[in-house]
Amino acid sequence: MAEVIVPVGPQHPALKEPVNFKVVADGETIVRLELDVSYNHRGIEKAAESRDFVRVVPLLERVCGICSHSHTTVFTKGIEEAMKLTIPPRAQYIRTIVAELERMHSHLLWLGVAAHEVGFNTLFMWTWRDREAVQDMLEEMTGNRVNYGTNEVGGVRRDLTPEQIQAALKRLPKLEERLAKYAEMVNAEETMLLRFKGVGHLTKEQALQLGAVGPTARASGVDYDIRRDDPYIAYADIPWKVITDTHGDVYGRTLVRVGELQQSLEMIRYCLQNLPAGPIRTAPPRAAPRAEILTRYEAPRGELVHFIRTNNTDKVERLDIRTPTLANWTSVAVSLVNQNLADIPVIVAAIDPCLSCTSRITVVNPKGRHVGEMTWDELSEHGREFYRRRGRR
Amino acid sequence: MSAAPVTLTLDQVKAALGDLGTVEQVRSNRIKVHSTIPKVREAILRAQSLLACDHVVQIAAADNGKTLELLYHLTGAHRMVVVLAIEIPRDKPEVPTASDLLPPAGIYERQIHDLLGITFRGHPALKRIILNEDWPEGEYPLRKDWKPDPTHFYGGVREEAK
Repeated sequence: MAEVIVPVGPQHPALKEPVNFKVVADGETIVRLELDVSYNHRGIEKAAESRDFVRVVPLLERVCGICSHSHTTVFTKGIEEAMKLTIPPRAQYIRTIVAELERMHSHLLWLGVAAHEVGFNTLFMWTWRDREAVQDMLEEMTGNRVNYGTNEVGGVRRDLTPEQIQAALKRLPKLEERLAKYAEMVNAEETMLLRFKGVGHLTKEQALQLGAVGPTARASGVDYDIRRDDPYIAYADIPWKVITDTHGDVYGRTLVRVGELQQSLEMIRYCLQNLPAGPIRTAPPRAAPRAEILTRYEAPRGELVHFIRTNNTDKVERLDIRTPTLANWTSVAVSLVNQNLADIPVIVAAIDPCLSCTSRITVVNPKGRHVGEMTWDELSEHGREFYRRRGRR
Repeated sequence: MSAAPVTLTLDQVKAALGDLGTVEQVRSNRIKVHSTIPKVREAILRAQSLLACDHVVQIAAADNGKTLELLYHLTGAHRMVVVLAIEIPRDKPEVPTASDLLPPAGIYERQIHDLLGITFRGHPALKRIILNEDWPEGEYPLRKDWKPDPTHFYGGVREEAK
């Protein structure tokens, strides 16, 4: 009997963005994965061509709710390069502070989601509570919890007052303590070790060949971080180090993200304590000369790229966005093969998919005997139940 | 943290790819090679084997009016981004696929095919990935000369069904 593919509507308004997986499985083992990510295309690249540099920044901020600062920073620094502007150091430091706060809230969110997918909801509650402290700092500094509205071409839109700096510094010791606790838990907590170790393994060769980026690549020993390799804003001036790991599995990706959380906190402290004096913006010209810029950024999920063409006007001729999740899908499709169906939630969650998490999964038996569909919740529950039955390895 | 040093030089790129197109340095860590469609696969192969480019950053696609353009951005541990640029005629937008040489290119090529209508010969599954399945055939929204046709249906709920 021929393979059966069931079209499943991916819209699921409850929680996550839409993507549709077709999982071809032989019993519990995954044979192949096909995916369709198209359901949320909003035509932002096209819309960007018709807005000037002032109005396009708020639009790009809305490419993604979590990486909103990433998209505006990568774009404004590209336009600034085309205009050959020198940005005041104070603005670059403020951009760095917001960027690292964004990385912290994103990684804490990821840690909570990963914990939830394996049924460890206590950790989920803890990380999301600590994430609130980061969100509060963002709100105090920028006025917003999600789309911060910090960037504009030429600098930043809001300065930091000494009171704001002191208030932010005061919050850091508590967060630091919590991060140390998570670093300890990753290595000691039975639930995490059982469900993360050896799951979704990707060798260094595979990670390179499949073009993985961000924590996914760094957990497989690929020493690739745009903040060091193509430095921008203040990263070349401040002390920090690139975190890598050689485990190559979900466990390694957790270690990398927890390490990066600790690095981000140090960077934020350094930038707050050493914030240069001076203006926070420089007046940009209205139009940008003809130029072709490839601008890169290390977003929380990995390398984010904007390809920008300007044409002597106040609008972009072309903006081509490559998000880290698109780069990471290829590696997910490969690292799922021969894994247990029960491990899909945690492996997919391990790249921290941004354009979407999945809403529904179609399970197709290759012999065509059983075709059914599972919701993400059912699959998560199946995963927890599978390991409960199987007990400790 | 100070920047990682860039260890690939213009001369090395010229030596490896000079016969496949004109080579120019456009930024301290960007080298652009203007190549042609028949030579692009050879250029990618040589960038991989001779220049240690093991990562494809992006395949950027643009419509510059007269022609369509593809820019393969490759990099590696040397931290130099090597850009292979090719121009594609509008009336015959066909290029050989790079998905067998660079696995991540598979998903990028599907996206470009959807939005700019460039066909990648030899791609194993050049199916829709960005546009909806009821999007009209032969309309490529990121082309500069594309305008929505009010008589066409682009998705959503059909008028007669309301």
